[in-house]
Amino acid sequence: RRSASLSPSVSAGSACLLLWLCLLGKPPGLGGSLCTRGDSGCPPLSVADLFDRVIQHSDRLHRLSAKKYFLPSGNELAKSARRCHTSRMLTPNGKEYAQTIPREELTYVILRLLQAWKEPLSHFDQSTVHHQDLSDDSLSKAKEISNMVHELKTGVEKVTEKMQSMGIISNSLNGMGSSEAAGLSISNEANLMSNYEFIHCFRRDSNKVQSYLKILKCRIMPGNSC
Amino acid sequence: EKLGFMQYRQPPGKPELIKCRSPEKETFSCWWKPVSDGGLPTNYTLFYNNEGEESFYECPDYTTAGPNSCYFDKKHTSLWTIYNITIKATNEMGSNISEPHYVDVTYIVQPNPPVNLSLALNKHTDGKLYLLMNWSSPPLADVRSGWLTLEYELRLKPEEGEEWETIFVGQRTKYKVFSLIPGEKYIAQVRCKSDHGEWSKWSSESYIHLPKEFRLKDMMVWVFVAVLSSVICLIMIWMMGLKGINMVACILPPVPGPKIKGLDAHLLEAGKNEELLSALGCQGFPPTSDCEDLLVEFLEIDDSEDQQLMPNHEKGHPNKNLKSGNKETDSDSGRGSCDSPSLLLEKCKESRIPPAEFQTPDFSETQVKAAGKSSQETQNRDPELKLPDFNSDGVKSSTWPGTQLASSQIPKGSYHNIVEVCKVAFSAMNVNVSAIRMGNEEKHPSKYSKNIETICEGEMTQRRKGESFHSKAKADQALQWLLPNEKSPFLSDKPMDYVEIHKVNQNGALAVLPKQKENSDKTEIYPIPGTTKEYAKVTRVVDNNVLVLMPESRVQGMPVFQEPPKESAQSLHQSQAEKNMSYCLTAPSEFRLQTGGLEYMDPNSFMCSFK
Repeated sequence: RRSASLSPSVSAGSACLLLWLCLLGKPPGLGGSLCTRGDSGCPPLSVADLFDRVIQHSDRLHRLSAKKYFLPSGNELAKSARRCHTSRMLTPNGKEYAQTIPREELTYVILRLLQAWKEPLSHFDQSTVHHQDLSDDSLSKAKEISNMVHELKTGVEKVTEKMQSMGIISNSLNGMGSSEAAGLSISNEANLMSNYEFIHCFRRDSNKVQSYLKILKCRIMPGNSC
Repeated sequence: EKLGFMQYRQPPGKPELIKCRSPEKETFSCWWKPVSDGGLPTNYTLFYNNEGEESFYECPDYTTAGPNSCYFDKKHTSLWTIYNITIKATNEMGSNISEPHYVDVTYIVQPNPPVNLSLALNKHTDGKLYLLMNWSSPPLADVRSGWLTLEYELRLKPEEGEEWETIFVGQRTKYKVFSLIPGEKYIAQVRCKSDHGEWSKWSSESYIHLPKEFRLKDMMVWVFVAVLSSVICLIMIWMMGLKGINMVACILPPVPGPKIKGLDAHLLEAGKNEELLSALGCQGFPPTSDCEDLLVEFLEIDDSEDQQLMPNHEKGHPNKNLKSGNKETDSDSGRGSCDSPSLLLEKCKESRIPPAEFQTPDFSETQVKAAGKSSQETQNRDPELKLPDFNSDGVKSSTWPGTQLASSQIPKGSYHNIVEVCKVAFSAMNVNVSAIRMGNEEKHPSKYSKNIETICEGEMTQRRKGESFHSKAKADQALQWLLPNEKSPFLSDKPMDYVEIHKVNQNGALAVLPKQKENSDKTEIYPIPGTTKEYAKVTRVVDNNVLVLMPESRVQGMPVFQEPPKESAQSLHQSQAEKNMSYCLTAPSEFRLQTGGLEYMDPNSFMCSFK
């Protein structure tokens, strides 16, 4: 379900979606204009543009998750820190690591993260137990976040395909498949988190995704606002 | 120390972590607050525990970040993990541990301020000046790899301004500022922030001085205005030139020369003295009335061979005695005494007062008549009356040269020349003025002149010339005797004029005729002695009212013209013995002329009536 509000994240997500549709093979059309569904005039976007859009989206996602009502206090942070369902995932925890691991791996990590959060977010508003200590605004925000995550994952997948088609990264079906599987298993554990933990963990992971995307973009196309 | 001693040997207080900061999201530092150490040296240790790990590690670096700090380098920094940091303060007595502090490095990023802020003035495509600001990210922040995403913020203010203008720039490292005031000096600063961290401190100040703006458009306007106004001025000048308007005269009117109101210099040159003097007010300046009277009184004896009583041919001008140097031999017995060169005193020449015109032809007649009348009238009068009272006729008289002259009304038509002579002669107002002599020296003394001239003038002249008068003594005496301050108001309303003595009867009465106007062309003012003709000299005064006249040197037994007829006869005889002719004469008084104190005697004051 999508939110009816016209938040920028939603519109960006829609744009991304339409962009994927354009990327699916529609011939190039009007330049610079927003491609509507079914429009045959979508211009092809470069990988850099794609990355920019994806990065913008992730940034919005992260800001949304970092709102004050989502930010736990110090103690809360301590408690929730240990219970993130994605904590066991091996992800680079520094710049050097992010710059040294292969691009494919980095891409894979991004996808896995997004996948890992897809399900928990979609299940978030359905669980009344978790909603006791959240305000209504938080709940609505959570829903919005869920949609955005879905859109972002779709966008990253598209970029990945573009890169693979361009030979920037090698095809690795293995990574794609494993992300879904890993995500599913992880998401089951997400039910154990409290709301604050849930939000805190999501905030961290969205930051990771954003950072990784930026590193990946500058590794692939250096110099362009890098 | 006292306090420390009081608190001696106590375990340290509980430390507290102040803050932890990461400048580039790769390292971070923590600072804590020192606590009361209980007077004993205290040791601080920092322990941290990574998320998901059980063991605690101690701070790897206590010095890099300063006192009471711990520095975590890259190896010890893990992002997206929560650090559990505690500080332990230890002294001899014990230790104390702070509360745990949870830190996620991702969220404590505070970069260093941007560097290399440069300000430059550039010109835009449309000619406008703008300020281009350029800066660099802090050196430690790795923006090139995309690891840090910095956003910048500017602030500007004029040097004397109070409020900063803050501009959020975003991720760019340059910015154009358009709305600046020319001529001002601006201060600029910049700071940055990581996308989820805190703002850095403001960079160091950068200055720029904007030049005063020279706008070509403004200059063009002024040039246009200048050209237009100059064209207009030229057109105006040309038009005025066409119309003949003398702008110079308009702007700078000629300075008027000194001018006496009513006095026209041209009139003076033309010799129209009466107008001139009337303009002057004739406030007694030319005591014309007195002179008139005096003239009337005086007999002019012409001692030329020609005994006929001829009318005076001289025309016109009383000036002639001022100018009549050439006039010398005139057979005309009617010559006025004023005409006689000898009568003219030097002062007359010097004064250069244009001789007024004797314009009272009728006056003399009137005077004479009056004299005649009065003489008849006064026959019954007191013989002591010295002077005939012409006043009966309403004639004003003025003492000659008298104060009365000044106050009295001077008849129109001034006897300027006479006046001049008179006043010149009696410049000192001395009573020494002897009886006026008429005529004299050469040819005329033997005869009574036909005209009545200003004896005074003649006398004056004589006096002036020196002591050439022989009858001076007598004249003095006579004059003195006449001197009193009689203010016989012998002022006449009519202008004075000369009369010619037509004939003298045996009684001593004079038949007079109005004198002709004298010629104004006489230039010689000062007659030479010897050329005088027509004046008589007052020999003596008899009985206060009789003047014994006689020509200057030759006349003997001239008829005397006196007031009381009966006594006149006697006087006449008496006078005949005299060499000089006596003459009615009033003493000169203190009359002062306006023209400078020249004193003269007004013939009018010599109210000698005659028949």
